[in-house]
Amino acid sequence: MLRELHCLVEHVGPYEAGQHIFREGEAFTAIAAVRTGTVKTSVVDPAGREQVLGFFLPGEVIGLNAIHQSRYPCNAVALDRVTLCRFSFPMVATLAQRLPDLQAQLFRLLSQDIGKATLLAGDYTAEERMAAFLITLSRRFAARGFSPRRFLLTMARTDIANYLRLAAETVSRLFRRFQDEGLIRVDRRDLEILDEARLRALAQPILRN
Amino acid sequence: MDAVPPFDALLLRRYDRPGPRYTSYPTAPQFKADFGEAEFRACAARSNGDPIPRPLSLYLHVPFCVSPCFYCACNRIVTRDLSRGAAYVLRLLREIEYVAPLFARDRDVIQLHLGGGTPNFLSPAQIGELLQCLGRQFHFSSSPDRDFSIELDPRTVSAAAIGEYAALGLNRASFGVQDFDPEVQQAVNRIQSVAETLAVMEACRAHGFRSINIDLIYGLPKQTRAGFGRTLEAVIAARPDRLAVYSYAHLPELFKPQRQIEASQLPTPEDKLGLLQLAIERLSAAGYHYIGMDHFALPGDDLAVAQGRGGLRRNFMGYTTHAQTDLIGLGASSISAIGDCFSQNYRDLPDWEAALDAGRLPVWRGLQLSDDDLLRADVIQRLMCQGRIDIALLEDRHDIDFADYFADALRQLGPLQADGLVEVGAEAIVATSRGRLLLRIIAMCFDRYLQRPQSQPARFSKAI
Repeated sequence: MLRELHCLVEHVGPYEAGQHIFREGEAFTAIAAVRTGTVKTSVVDPAGREQVLGFFLPGEVIGLNAIHQSRYPCNAVALDRVTLCRFSFPMVATLAQRLPDLQAQLFRLLSQDIGKATLLAGDYTAEERMAAFLITLSRRFAARGFSPRRFLLTMARTDIANYLRLAAETVSRLFRRFQDEGLIRVDRRDLEILDEARLRALAQPILRN
Repeated sequence: MDAVPPFDALLLRRYDRPGPRYTSYPTAPQFKADFGEAEFRACAARSNGDPIPRPLSLYLHVPFCVSPCFYCACNRIVTRDLSRGAAYVLRLLREIEYVAPLFARDRDVIQLHLGGGTPNFLSPAQIGELLQCLGRQFHFSSSPDRDFSIELDPRTVSAAAIGEYAALGLNRASFGVQDFDPEVQQAVNRIQSVAETLAVMEACRAHGFRSINIDLIYGLPKQTRAGFGRTLEAVIAARPDRLAVYSYAHLPELFKPQRQIEASQLPTPEDKLGLLQLAIERLSAAGYHYIGMDHFALPGDDLAVAQGRGGLRRNFMGYTTHAQTDLIGLGASSISAIGDCFSQNYRDLPDWEAALDAGRLPVWRGLQLSDDDLLRADVIQRLMCQGRIDIALLEDRHDIDFADYFADALRQLGPLQADGLVEVGAEAIVATSRGRLLLRIIAMCFDRYLQRPQSQPARFSKAI
């Protein structure tokens, strides 16, 4: 669907690792689909601590949470070399009134964006969070036509830790334990899921399905 | 690679040509000045971000020696002024304070090596100060199989000092012997008796050092089969856990101290090969295993055991049994290998000092490895450590078609295969027992930097 709107599309980037795509408080004009790379969104709390909100993989859309206030409510930073397809939001909104398919697609994106937050909302163990994180990543890669079994963790462990509300040491300890137990194999940033069923069982309290 | 490989003088002669020793790939001459302090910091930060960050190895370089050995090709400064050690330690402490915070605290130091020069140019108290500072700034592994080693000069180290090193947590020692033949010792300006060497070894053992390595060199001036044979006999009787038998590379235009050596006193290529042959025969008969390159170990030594399990690795410090670590080099000229980057500190002491005095990291040059570099480094590492390259494994790891990607290398392996150095099969490339003494010749086929005609003329020592 989004592909059909090429007249609204502007190709932007590349952004290099660490470069801001937008900053909290900036006026919202466009949503953007990630073409390549990974984007991290985060906010900085009054004490100056970063809180990671999420990671966006190729095919996923950033900026949806800005629609309400017309300002970006968070920062978006490239984790590696990122290119984007940017869609002018006023134009998308106008067009959506005429194209029911586009409207439906927008609602689906919005609903998915809200759903992502539930990973962290409950009172889950570190192990459950980590397993759910990996299974979710795997499914998201699969949905975009990438291997669900083997992928690159482009986010630093401190970002993963921050996102899962765990200590960085705990994240490494869990990766090591999952590896020792034969669930995954980790080689630097390269991750392979060896036993999807057991990992999924661990994540079950969070993912439910 | 358990037994010592058979020896074929004719073959070795044919392949006696210059080549890198592949303690790294790409090799240090490929490092560039556009890799500096900022790149080093970024690289360290990235390395902390791995899901399971690698444990750390630390290398401390002490460049001073009280007297010049004429064969030396190391970066070192000859002085009898011990106060230079104190000034050096002060700056090393500063370097440690700059570098350590760049690495996450939960990364254990599992390997530490003091090399030189002569590390025991520093007093045990100075070495203690350095180790205490490192212990505060980094987290030392408490595992008993951590390797904390030091190179010692038996001529200048006391038994009391060895007790102090052991108390500091050092558990491996390495000594240069080269040759006990007095004629040779005179010619290379290194007079060291069997008795003082054995006394130091004895002290290390008494103080609980876990492993002792001895370095020998063949191809030195005035060296003879008879004399080197006696050296081997004495060394084997002392039963070091590990032995390195290096080839002397006479490159006087590159290494100033070597200009003191009379070329006419050097053994002929035939004689030099004879010395190597003698070493291999004697060590083999004494039960030593050939590890690879120039290294031998007793069957019970960690290196020999790890090789049997396929757990052997090679880094700037030579062969090691540890998992992949990130290596932090401290001190003038030292090399770091962190993540996908290599870097080297300023080689000349005044440059290294000036950087630290200005509050900067003393990074001189380095390299961010490309995907191609990483792939070739993997191939060469496997060759050096296991003597074989498993094709399917590399294709999976690096997402390549091996035959297609390495068409050039495979062509170059042709003559080596014809000479029986290597077997090229559909599943693996395997160094034969004849080829194991010439691993670097095989590795050179995979070295992209040697293929380019515009690359610098060879500055490497010969393969034998």
